[in-house]
Amino acid sequence: MAELTHTDAVFTPKPSQPPPPNTVGVVGWLRKNLFGGPFDSVMTIIGAGLLAYFAYGLFQYTIVNAVWEADSYRECLDVTQGAGACWAGVDKWMNNYLYGRYPDAEQWRVNLGGIILAVWLAPFWFEKVTQKIAVGVSAVLTYPFLAGALFLGGDNGLFMQAMSSVALTLFAAVWLNVAACYSGRRSLGAVLVQVTGFAGKDDRLYKWVYLAAFAVGFVVAFIFQSTWNLAPVQTTNWGGLFLTLVISGIGISTALPSGVILALGRRSKMPVIRVFCTAFIELFRSVPLITILFMAVTMMPLFLPVTLNPDKLVLVIVAVCIFAAAYMAEIVRGGLQAINTGQYEAARAVGLNYWKMMTLIVMPQALKLMIPNIVGNFIGLLKDTTLVSIIGLYDILLMVRASGQDPKWLGMHTEPMLFAAFVFFVICFAMSKYSQHLERTIGGGYGRR
Amino acid sequence: MKKVSLFGLGAGLLAALTFTAEPASAQQSTLDIVKSRGHLRCQLGTPAPGWYMLSDTGKWSGFDYENCRAVSAAIFGDPDKIEVQSVTSAVRFTAMANGESDMLSRTTTWTLFRETQLGLDFTTVSFYDGQGFMVLKDAGIKSALELKGATVCVATGTTTELNLTDYSRTNGLDIKPVVFEDSNVRDNTFFTGGCDAITNDKSSLASTRAKAPDVSIFKILPETISKEPLGPVVRQNDSQWKDIVQWSVYTMIAAEEYGMSSTNVDKVLAETTNPEIKRMLGAEGDLNKGLGLEPKWAYNIIKMVGNYGENYEEFMGEKTVMNIPRDGSPNALWTKGGLLYSPPFR
Repeated sequence: MAELTHTDAVFTPKPSQPPPPNTVGVVGWLRKNLFGGPFDSVMTIIGAGLLAYFAYGLFQYTIVNAVWEADSYRECLDVTQGAGACWAGVDKWMNNYLYGRYPDAEQWRVNLGGIILAVWLAPFWFEKVTQKIAVGVSAVLTYPFLAGALFLGGDNGLFMQAMSSVALTLFAAVWLNVAACYSGRRSLGAVLVQVTGFAGKDDRLYKWVYLAAFAVGFVVAFIFQSTWNLAPVQTTNWGGLFLTLVISGIGISTALPSGVILALGRRSKMPVIRVFCTAFIELFRSVPLITILFMAVTMMPLFLPVTLNPDKLVLVIVAVCIFAAAYMAEIVRGGLQAINTGQYEAARAVGLNYWKMMTLIVMPQALKLMIPNIVGNFIGLLKDTTLVSIIGLYDILLMVRASGQDPKWLGMHTEPMLFAAFVFFVICFAMSKYSQHLERTIGGGYGRR
Repeated sequence: MKKVSLFGLGAGLLAALTFTAEPASAQQSTLDIVKSRGHLRCQLGTPAPGWYMLSDTGKWSGFDYENCRAVSAAIFGDPDKIEVQSVTSAVRFTAMANGESDMLSRTTTWTLFRETQLGLDFTTVSFYDGQGFMVLKDAGIKSALELKGATVCVATGTTTELNLTDYSRTNGLDIKPVVFEDSNVRDNTFFTGGCDAITNDKSSLASTRAKAPDVSIFKILPETISKEPLGPVVRQNDSQWKDIVQWSVYTMIAAEEYGMSSTNVDKVLAETTNPEIKRMLGAEGDLNKGLGLEPKWAYNIIKMVGNYGENYEEFMGEKTVMNIPRDGSPNALWTKGGLLYSPPFR
């Protein structure tokens, strides 16, 4: 009998068998998900057939048979007999779709406004930048004034001038802060303190440094903006995608803060505040947006003196903001309900007051939970703003419909609608994707698709 | 009125905030308001070919828009001092009532109800329209009375729909209306054979036909089943303003009658011996006083906007997509057998 040696006892695993070829890779995935059984296979084939049919039709209509160069819809029809899209008309009308009746020579102002906003908010995505909340708050609170001055042009009075100067100053501050953060400093504030030689001094003096710096910036900005000489463009000439974005943008950016305030008010223990907030929410949530718009634009002026003559666009924006705030309030309240009472009690137990409890403990958790709902609401609001076409504001939808009534492009109906659908899809899909990104990055344990 | 009272709270609050007890209908004349504002607020509908059209360069034009240009020319001596308010028909009368628009010129039919119940005054008729039917030529239909049991495409919520059912009942035709909210969808349904016929004001049928992939296969039937007198509208209780709008339209009609157009008005003014033309153009008398306008108001209209015939030619005539024949229609001058008739300038 042979003696067992040490080496014999060693277990040498065989390489594992590869999985059966039809369960891995593309084939495996197809078998598992699409052809799992006879019923699945039939459904897959029918579904794929339908999809291919529509995709082919759309492809034929929008690309293959489409006409890109023409001077009228009749010319397109002569070529395609209606079997292909007439993109030439959409192209001719593109300026109206995007800017409405904003004068061609002044459209750079709209573009510049958009660029300023994008640049202002860009630091959100920079990793090293501190005080991102200040970036967001400064943009939400002051950018509208700067944009308003830019888009309106002309002389808008001292208040607008001052506010747009504040906006310019804060805009500069945001980017100086970025520069400071990327040159190894903690923040712009720290740099200011260091430069002015207050570094080792009492903390309480710092705020005077900041204020002085702000004042200097403000004066420079005020002088700078007073050199502007922009031709006035009435809001009645605003239109197209630009108008849609102005209305929904202001609605969206004010919805969350006002919604939070209303939601807290509704849960408040103070009866007057609670009743007011509840009444406000219930009133405006129970009424369709079109009714609110109609009341604001056509009924409100009946109660106002003729001389007051409020701008239609302002009335619309106020109406949209009120509507959006009422909806947002209930979303926020839902988020607040989801936070365990233990969190409130624990916050109280460590001695936090109401506002600290809310801003440090409750809201951060609640907001994370609310992200899908909030973004869903924003997307809904963006689409709801197309209702302003009924009261005669030429947003993108009304422009699109108007283009088919131009005698040159008479009957052009499908193509502009496809274009508008595409624009809305791109914007809404981007918002949706961004919300998913937010959920993954800040949602922590809650973030599940 | 329930909604109004709901909003009364909010509106009341706002009114209180402005610290004014003054009611909206302060008795200031529309002419003064327009003059001090520096431009005319002209209400049009959402774009419709021929009537009020928005071009790809963002400019307005059209047959109804010319009425506003005439009023602007009369007041300011400049036909383009206009702020266009293009709103859907749902809000057209409220936008007049609340003072937003100074005048409305948008294919609005003059009816007793509208004139008496909506706080409006119809000034005059600038276009005589009427509802008709359009069918495929191949269908071999010669008269609307042959539409027995037919399906007819019609826009919902308009007098058009009511006229259709009235006509069907009166003549025992048993017409089945197919109603649409969107005119594009209605037209496409008709083009693709979804209805036997389509009904609308005849001028609109003309523009529907112009949209079709093949224009030549359609026929507008001879019957006119309704009266649709269209013209500019102003708010009630401001007769001076009403007069201005009314006589601006009359000026264009009279100019055509007297053979004056934008091209020859200077020549006519220099050479004429006709006292009425002299009065009209402001060379004699003081007809402008009563209107509160400059003596040259009518001259400005003719010079800058043109006479009725010129405008018709430009927006409704044979060279346009509308292609509505004028001879023999009610829209010819009274001297040519039509209904257009201006009272004398005296």
